[in-house]
Amino acid sequence: MQFAQICDRVETDASAAGPINLSAFPGIWVNSNPDTNGIARMVMSESDGNLSLQVYAIGPDGLIDWGTADVSVFTSKPSSRVGAGFTCLYDFGFAQTRLQGMIAKGLLVLAQFHRFKDDSKRVDYFVREYFALAHGRY
Amino acid sequence: MSQTFEFKQSSHLHPALLDPAAKTLDADKLTGRWVNTNTETQGLAEFVIEQDGERFSVSGVGVGADGPIDWPMTSATPLANLEEEAGQRAVALAATFAFGFMRAETQIRVNKGVLVIVVFHTFLDDSRRSNYVNREFFYRQD
Repeated sequence: MQFAQICDRVETDASAAGPINLSAFPGIWVNSNPDTNGIARMVMSESDGNLSLQVYAIGPDGLIDWGTADVSVFTSKPSSRVGAGFTCLYDFGFAQTRLQGMIAKGLLVLAQFHRFKDDSKRVDYFVREYFALAHGRY
Repeated sequence: MSQTFEFKQSSHLHPALLDPAAKTLDADKLTGRWVNTNTETQGLAEFVIEQDGERFSVSGVGVGADGPIDWPMTSATPLANLEEEAGQRAVALAATFAFGFMRAETQIRVNKGVLVIVVFHTFLDDSRRSNYVNREFFYRQD
């Protein structure tokens, strides 16, 4: 088994291989910053063991629906089967946005990599925002 | 900024995005040799960031069972970092290390003098290891 650091190195049990637990993800994630000019909320859904994401972003005239994207799920370590992070990609044609999220204690830290493909001469940029799951418990 | 630009969120229209210098702003806050704050880390022990004009390169040293493991130098993409805490604006970097058996996508930024690296590891072999994400903190050595 190859590894690039000690924490890559685990002894995997073939019988333990199974679907990743996605329970931490589904729901409506709301930006903690009410004044954001980025992503307002995200809806994460699970279907047949697969996770998808729908983003609603702030626009000058209201929310902009980015549509749905497939999500790649990441755990916290190679031996874990519990989802703790994700990545996905939106390609808008004029720009591409890669999202990378990490969840800890109910907080989703979302990194956004925005890369422009048009001739607007806008520089590529990075944004990090925080989201909380609307759980309605208190 | 003119709204003739296409956008998918209001931040796509941020005026600062038209300043080419935003991609290298305060890059000196990132360049140099960084050492993991966690002396017991089982991940990256060191990280080096170099700049040549608008080009950035990164390399690392992973902690191995029998000694350090090189994370070979690779190019990094600079991105303007417009909304860091306390109004700090410094470039952020994205880089991908390709090991063959694994791909490590890194997210690199500095926050109040601390280098924060988030790594998304995707295994490309048949080891059945879960793809995983890890975040580590570094202080600058020189």
